Amino acid sequence: MLARVANNLFWMGRYIERAEHTARYLKVNYFSSLDAPNKLSQSRQFVLQSVYQMVGETSFTSLTLKEEEVLYNVGLNLNKTYSVLNSIKLARENANSSRDLVSTEFYESINKFYHFAMNYSNDKFVKNGLYDFTTSVTEHTSILRGKIRGTLLHDEIYALIMLGINIERATQITRIIKTKFDDANKAIGGYANPIKNSYEWTTLLKCTESYDMMRRYYKKSPTQLTTLEFLILNAKCPRSVMNSLNQIYNNICTIDNTKVFKKDTSAFLIGKMRAEYEFKTIEEIQLNVHDFIEKTSQLLFSIGFKLENEYFYV
Amino acid sequence: MTKNTLNPIFSSYDKIQSLYDEIFDENSDVREVYKKLFELYSGLSIDDYGNLNEMAKASFFNQGITFQVYSDTKAQEKIFPFDLFPRIIDHDEWDTIEKGVLQRSKALNLFLHDVYHDKKIIKDGIVPIEMISSSSNYLQSMMDIDPPGGIYNHISGTDLIKHSDGKYYVLEDNIRCPSGVSYVMCNRGALKKALFGVFNHYDIHSVTDYAENLLEILESVKPHGVDVPTAVVITPGIYNSAYYEHSYLAKTIGIELVEGRDLFVENDFVYMKTILGSKRVDIIYRRIDDTFLDPLEFKQDSAIGVPGLFAAYKKGNVTIVNAPGTGVADDKAIYTYMPEIIRYYLGEEPILNNVHTYHCSKEDDLKYVLENVNELVVKPVDEAGGYGISIGNRLTKEEIETLKETIKKEPRKYIAQPIMSLSVHATYIEDTNSFEQRHVDLRTFTLLGNQKDFVLRGGLTRVALKKGNLIVNSSQGGGSKDTWILKK
Amino acid sequence: MIYDYTIKYRSENHYETPVFEAYWQFLVTPENNETQELISENITTSVNARIESSINGLGFNTSRIHCKKPFKDIIFEVTFKLTKKEINPFDFTPSLDNALDYKLLESLLFRVEFEAYLKQTKLTTLPNLPEELFLFDKRESVFQNCLNLTHWIFDYVTFTTGVTTTETTLNTIIQNKKGVCQDFTHLMCAIARRNKVPARYVSGYLHQGNGFFGDSQMHAWVELYIPKVGWVGFDCTNNLLANHNHIKVAHGKDYDDCPPLKGIVYSSGNNFTKYTVEVTHQQ
Repeated sequence: MLARVANNLFWMGRYIERAEHTARYLKVNYFSSLDAPNKLSQSRQFVLQSVYQMVGETSFTSLTLKEEEVLYNVGLNLNKTYSVLNSIKLARENANSSRDLVSTEFYESINKFYHFAMNYSNDKFVKNGLYDFTTSVTEHTSILRGKIRGTLLHDEIYALIMLGINIERATQITRIIKTKFDDANKAIGGYANPIKNSYEWTTLLKCTESYDMMRRYYKKSPTQLTTLEFLILNAKCPRSVMNSLNQIYNNICTIDNTKVFKKDTSAFLIGKMRAEYEFKTIEEIQLNVHDFIEKTSQLLFSIGFKLENEYFYV
Repeated sequence: MTKNTLNPIFSSYDKIQSLYDEIFDENSDVREVYKKLFELYSGLSIDDYGNLNEMAKASFFNQGITFQVYSDTKAQEKIFPFDLFPRIIDHDEWDTIEKGVLQRSKALNLFLHDVYHDKKIIKDGIVPIEMISSSSNYLQSMMDIDPPGGIYNHISGTDLIKHSDGKYYVLEDNIRCPSGVSYVMCNRGALKKALFGVFNHYDIHSVTDYAENLLEILESVKPHGVDVPTAVVITPGIYNSAYYEHSYLAKTIGIELVEGRDLFVENDFVYMKTILGSKRVDIIYRRIDDTFLDPLEFKQDSAIGVPGLFAAYKKGNVTIVNAPGTGVADDKAIYTYMPEIIRYYLGEEPILNNVHTYHCSKEDDLKYVLENVNELVVKPVDEAGGYGISIGNRLTKEEIETLKETIKKEPRKYIAQPIMSLSVHATYIEDTNSFEQRHVDLRTFTLLGNQKDFVLRGGLTRVALKKGNLIVNSSQGGGSKDTWILKK
Repeated sequence: MIYDYTIKYRSENHYETPVFEAYWQFLVTPENNETQELISENITTSVNARIESSINGLGFNTSRIHCKKPFKDIIFEVTFKLTKKEINPFDFTPSLDNALDYKLLESLLFRVEFEAYLKQTKLTTLPNLPEELFLFDKRESVFQNCLNLTHWIFDYVTFTTGVTTTETTLNTIIQNKKGVCQDFTHLMCAIARRNKVPARYVSGYLHQGNGFFGDSQMHAWVELYIPKVGWVGFDCTNNLLANHNHIKVAHGKDYDDCPPLKGIVYSSGNNFTKYTVEVTHQQ
């Protein structure tokens, strides 16, 4: 497998997953704020800032964000690297470079997805198309995942795309947790107060499409403890960090079937992180949630960085 | 047109008698091979046809079977227009074509070997020395190199037309990087999807065997001493207008699609950079022009080539397909010597006709051309893609004078041929929502390998979509048709 | 007599911004031929890179460097030792039948054989002039005409550095009548070819210390094919025949076939190149 093409497959996976999470975050936050139980969670400014924080937009200066501008930037502005549309465009560009390796069926789906998104009217999107667009994006990405699973040999090509998807998923989930944790802090009025029960936990679970699964598992309203435990440590939850780590580890073993990994390799790093998280308890995490989440995203970043240098830039 | 009024989808078909119509004979009767198809299509209304056409277009677009067109503002993706009415070629007619194009490819291969070795054909005065000395495609670096199996033009694309006399004429032999073969497969696929019923009534040759034959041809010219060779396709990248074809070929042959930056040369061997280290490459099917192949040997500013590739090739450590320097033989000036070239190397009479050509480099010919520009097609010797072609009877008086001046300035750069009237074929025209006559040509694909050759039984029928237009190239607004070769 | 030569070729390149990957191909190694023999070759570079030798498309030895680690400066240094035989360039039997020789130049077989060295290239195309610059006098031998052409070029062009580049065409040379060895050589190639004599552009080294023109850098001269004699070297920059002072590296149709250095550098920003040549000998 060519190193450059492997890189394309990996990033294609990442961008598909990124497009989905950004779209879903935008949708869920926006719509759940409409009937939120407390004032701050209802505040449009609070929501828009949360969206900007999640995508990493820091350059805004005005204290009052314009709704249409935020929606456009995060949704369809190709000049913003974080926009959903840009992720879709990059996913398809990466698919183009590896077109001979992916299935015709998959390519057709991603191509359709691209044309759908590129032709989506800005006007419609900011006025009344937010729900329609973001829902379509999540549906298209589900189709893509289906085609990846169903129309590609489960060999290293598949493993590389899934590696990208899983790393991106773990990264995005961590990002969402971080943003919502900050939101919850703000909503409760400062870090000093305990934030056990907050409407933001429900939103968080919905942002990750895990609310139903969580309810089924705990059979109770979400609290900080149960939410974090579920999204970070529950290996059975397909959206959890733990689940992603397990998959990442399997993916890397498919790509590189070296039996024993040296200690400076990305595979070793993944294995180590996975082992640590497997025996982590939520009580330990609770001691300093903020630091733990920060550390998680740093580890994921360094794994991604190492992977690229090890396999793609040879 | 009385007889055809029975058939609604042909009700407005406007037949011009002076042209050879592929479907209707001079009495406006449907030709034998089209009879069944004609009957089947009669069951459709022109609106059905319009819907099928829309579906086919959407299918090409969604599959990304497109090429990029660059305008001032941004790149646009366009599909290569596909026409649902197939072209049918009977087996006897095809037999002649098949033998003829193979004969030409073999003769051209021998010609290439000769001009890069002893140059006998020039010493014997058959082909003038200027054909190589003033050809920018003649590569001195290729002198005395013996490519594996002695093959230069592994892949040839021959463009044929049917003239108003009902005979096939060759217009051009493309032996640099002929393109279009992926559209042969895609057109077949699209037609099957849209009108699968019609295939039951005809016994036609499949086109899917091209990929496996191409792989066999590639492997037959592996470098000396290699057991199981690794072959790759090299592309300029995703922004190249033929990128779809490059990826399609790599996918169907089952080999890697590489760009120049994926390869490197060490000790005169070529390697590709993979996720698990370097892997040796033995055969390169290149879709990059000669002078871009190796910046150390040719154009130093080529960003799409592989530094050191040519030295590796010269040493025999890698095979390049087609060989560098083949362009000297697909020069339009060389074309005019094809009958002599065939006789010289093969001792056979040419099976396919050549169009008579006037060389503006010859005084007599130049005189004739200048006096008769309005009845001739004037072509630059070294432009591809239908650019720079002037059709005499389409020009205004001023344009004719300008053209004459241009020719006089550099006579060697131009050749002229009688205006050939390309045959016409029923083609669905969106603007009028009806069938009209449009000019068509035919590109065939021939493979030459070590002790092996293959002619694809099918081809790309290109159609000029603008009314009366004779230029069928996709870059000039042409479309294409599925082409059926009937089995015996 | 045998001369022992030591040649040092040194090239220094400085890049404003770091170079991440680079290939260089040097065409500086003296060839082996009847009059010269390469004894040793020692190549060093200031960066940690692979050095390989390879044969280019026209059949000459090149040294190739591939560097994958970022750097801003690179020094390439190579030392050759070789022996050169003393030759008398006039040592051949003069042709007796000039007419036959000129007829040979006209013949198709001859023109095909030497096609590469008879054709015009971008750098050897003469502009359209009202009259020929130099026409052969058919009463004299081909060799004598070539010698006369050498003198003529030497008088016609004034050796001046810094006014031309390796891309200067003959248009400019003829207009300004100034240039360095490659300009002299291009003009001579063009006129010889116009008179149907095959001409090769030769790149090489010139023994220093004798006050020759063009001895501080790589030198260029012409080889012309004289019927019944073969290739003979003419140094029109110095108005003489090539001899034991001329150490040949490569030949081609013009400069573009034999530049000492071709480089592909993946970097942005300007670069500065400086190269020096040192040629010494003991008898």
